[in-house]
Amino acid sequence: MDKDKNPKVAEKVSPVETVLKEPGILHEPVAAPLVTYPIEVVIPKARQQTPAVGQRATRLDGRLHGLGQTGYIDDMTFPGMLYAKIRRAGVASARIKSIDTSEAEAMPGVMAVLTGKDVPNNSFGPSIKDQPVLAYERVFHAGDGIVAVAAVTEQIAAEACQKVKIEFEVLTPVLDPLESLKLETPGVHAPSANIYQKKFIKKGDVEKGFAMSDHIIEGHFTTQMVEHVPMEPHATIAMWDANGRLTVYSTLGRITLGRADLASTLGIPISRVRIVATIVGGNFGGKNEITTEPVLALLSKKTGRPVKSVFTRPDEFIASTTRHPLIMDYKTGVTKDGRIQARKLRLVLDGGAYCSWSETTLSKACILSAGPYNIENLYAEAYVVYTNKTMTGAMRGFGAPQVCFAYESHMDDIATLLNMDPLDIRLINAFHEGSISPTGQKLQSVVVKESLLRAAERFGWNPKGSTAGAGKILPKEITSGTTVRA
Amino acid sequence: MRAFELYSAKDSHDAVALLAKHSATSKVRIIAGGTDLLADLKFSAHSPNVVVDISRAEDLKSIIATEDGLRIGALVTHSQIMRSVIIKEMFPALVDAAHTIGAVQTRNLGTIGGNLVTAVPSMDSGATLIALEAIASIQGPEGRHEVPLLDFFLGPRKTILKPDELLAEIIIPKQNLGKPTAFLKFGLRKGQALALVNSAASFWVDWEKHTFVAPRIGLGAVAPKVIRATQAETFLEGRKITPEVMAEAGLIAASDAKPISDFRASAGYRKNLVAVLTKRVLEGAYALAQAKR
Amino acid sequence: MLTVTLKVNGETRTAVVPPETTLLRMLRDQLNLTGSKLGCDVGDCGACTVIVDGKVVNSCLMLAGQAEGRDVQTIEGLATMDRVHPIQRAFEDCASLQCGFCGPGVIMSAKALLDEIPNPTIPQIRDALGGNLCRCTGYVKMIEAILIAATAMRGESAQASR
Repeated sequence: MDKDKNPKVAEKVSPVETVLKEPGILHEPVAAPLVTYPIEVVIPKARQQTPAVGQRATRLDGRLHGLGQTGYIDDMTFPGMLYAKIRRAGVASARIKSIDTSEAEAMPGVMAVLTGKDVPNNSFGPSIKDQPVLAYERVFHAGDGIVAVAAVTEQIAAEACQKVKIEFEVLTPVLDPLESLKLETPGVHAPSANIYQKKFIKKGDVEKGFAMSDHIIEGHFTTQMVEHVPMEPHATIAMWDANGRLTVYSTLGRITLGRADLASTLGIPISRVRIVATIVGGNFGGKNEITTEPVLALLSKKTGRPVKSVFTRPDEFIASTTRHPLIMDYKTGVTKDGRIQARKLRLVLDGGAYCSWSETTLSKACILSAGPYNIENLYAEAYVVYTNKTMTGAMRGFGAPQVCFAYESHMDDIATLLNMDPLDIRLINAFHEGSISPTGQKLQSVVVKESLLRAAERFGWNPKGSTAGAGKILPKEITSGTTVRA
Repeated sequence: MRAFELYSAKDSHDAVALLAKHSATSKVRIIAGGTDLLADLKFSAHSPNVVVDISRAEDLKSIIATEDGLRIGALVTHSQIMRSVIIKEMFPALVDAAHTIGAVQTRNLGTIGGNLVTAVPSMDSGATLIALEAIASIQGPEGRHEVPLLDFFLGPRKTILKPDELLAEIIIPKQNLGKPTAFLKFGLRKGQALALVNSAASFWVDWEKHTFVAPRIGLGAVAPKVIRATQAETFLEGRKITPEVMAEAGLIAASDAKPISDFRASAGYRKNLVAVLTKRVLEGAYALAQAKR
Repeated sequence: MLTVTLKVNGETRTAVVPPETTLLRMLRDQLNLTGSKLGCDVGDCGACTVIVDGKVVNSCLMLAGQAEGRDVQTIEGLATMDRVHPIQRAFEDCASLQCGFCGPGVIMSAKALLDEIPNPTIPQIRDALGGNLCRCTGYVKMIEAILIAATAMRGESAQASR
């Protein structure tokens, strides 16, 4: 392999690729150059310190993965196993008036049918227990499962689900988190309020800080709902033994929590719940909580046979958790030489139909919302609200990526306004050894500035080539409102 | 997937016979490469009772140059088009179009006939074939009849095919063999992407007067079906070949286009793409003409 | 019900399946070859990639009946009793897979590429992997592994022809 050759200068490209590479209105996204690092591996010598960075490391599961022999949940079958499918609401907000499963139950090959009334304790959740195992009286989002069918083949189970007759009284859904924030909007989970968790961080006095600033700049940032899309869809198999102990094979990342949820929803002691979780085909936060496990456990109990269910790819989008969309409003006061005096911000998290991991996400987002910068005067308020949309839960970063997008974009805007190098303004404000975080933690081993400088050197940061030069100096308190969507 | 009966056709006549037999009493779909049909059926509420598998009809799999023109069998896969010596030589634009479809796996299964018959407006084979004034050769119980490809499409997912007919061949007429043609697709990704805009241009060059001769421009994904940019064609006919003229033709083609706004792009953005891509395919075809001279 | 007879990894196999069964389901459920995965079932993710008559296809987009009489190669057919395939070896050495779910599909696409182009360029590798989605790795180490495997395979065939 030729390490020095730029992979973008290809030898054989089709005419399409050649034309697309031309500069002009249409240009393809810049591809990062291939990283070169030593391929020669240093053989560690006994009793000698060998640097780990730059070494090739193999993974214990590499052999089985390459052979295609890793056993994922969907690769498992058990004698007599049945397949389950779940009929989902398909409507964002509704009251369930009636459920008629008689036609489904009469189909040959259908072994059991389950609704919410068959569930001993029909609510669970990692923090607030607001999520039903199967929606019984109310539907809160289109992916809510209402009826589950276990049959001898997947095809029959799917057909039977279609034959279930559900009568809905469709209600007006709340879809905009900013609408949901207003006190007069009817509660999604009425009588509970729509704002189901808040967090405030107050440090110093922001009004004093703004008074001391030469410029005040505002920014409005939003991020969208993101689905984890693990390559492996959620899969579960449930079975009981003759002693009344439940065994569940599942793509679950957090087994102890899963055991607790199964024990509470099924009303059995946790000692009777065994969860076997194998290698997960991609989690990213979406497999941190139970999905169909209690449903399958109950179907298995009804039929006396193991029951398996695998999410289809559409199910992954509507019935599993997603990343919280955030609406972020920032207001920052700076001196004319770029020192932040005060920052006031508000975060609104779209909490979806159920709480799931929203409390953790809210916490993290709020704590990290000011960015890695020394800010003496800070006021951060964060709210998470219910909406009749797909559940939002844990995903890689729990709120951190969203606020990072906001505060870094905001920093660039401030740099433009002050006609400063975006790198310089960060170096002026960044945390250093001993800085106090917004929540009062004294930080140690801080290398923000060193990292920025090292990175800038590595990728050849050239302030004259950047877009930072274009800003005009504006009088105090003129807001430069930027609305940026991720 | 819901249950259906499956009948495998030995050749195109057998296929037509099976279609005629079953379409009277059942809902019938045809499977060739399966890349559109099966993707559709997996989560669909409208299932057929009968599926006729035509993938083994060898008589629909050849690419031959005859005295009527170039005949491409409907079951030729996109991969086969990319490898065909005749097509690489005569119509590299068809190779380019095939290359933009899906990914290797889908190109190995998907057929040019299937791509045309599915008739989604963003379908990638259509623009180039329309620009080459291709003809659809349709096989029915009575035998073959021909229809200009432009008239083959009626709208999104609708063609003129009757339940007992199938698209057998695509013919590029003799007079267009070797006509310099270029194609460009713009999608939100380089692979596995739906086209926002497809543009193809085909013209001869009068080297004495240095003008466009018989210019044809095919546009895809900017109307309910593949269209010709007729105003742009009229503008180009007999005009001197210059970069300014090509740019102007692009703008005129943008007004020929009637794109929609959807979550992928606005209509205005697509019109802008039409202008730029059309200019570039005109430039591309001209470069080809110069190379062949 | 349809009786389908085909060659899988060099062996003649027969299965009796309903007509609407896809090749993927037949391989996984009837023939117990669970290496090919079901990721989307509509031919977008490539986790079901197998080689049929020398060409990579999405086995979820092929009916079992269409595979009658054909020569199918799955991930299970790459390693032999005495060694893992050079591609599998390179993927292991480079730690190219994390959760591993996309692995069989990627490796089959890589095999088809290297069978046709023994000395591929990076753009050719990217094109060959264009139909395989991976959510864990970012593909960089897969491309590296394929380049290394290509070298190993050229060395092997040079050895064999001596």
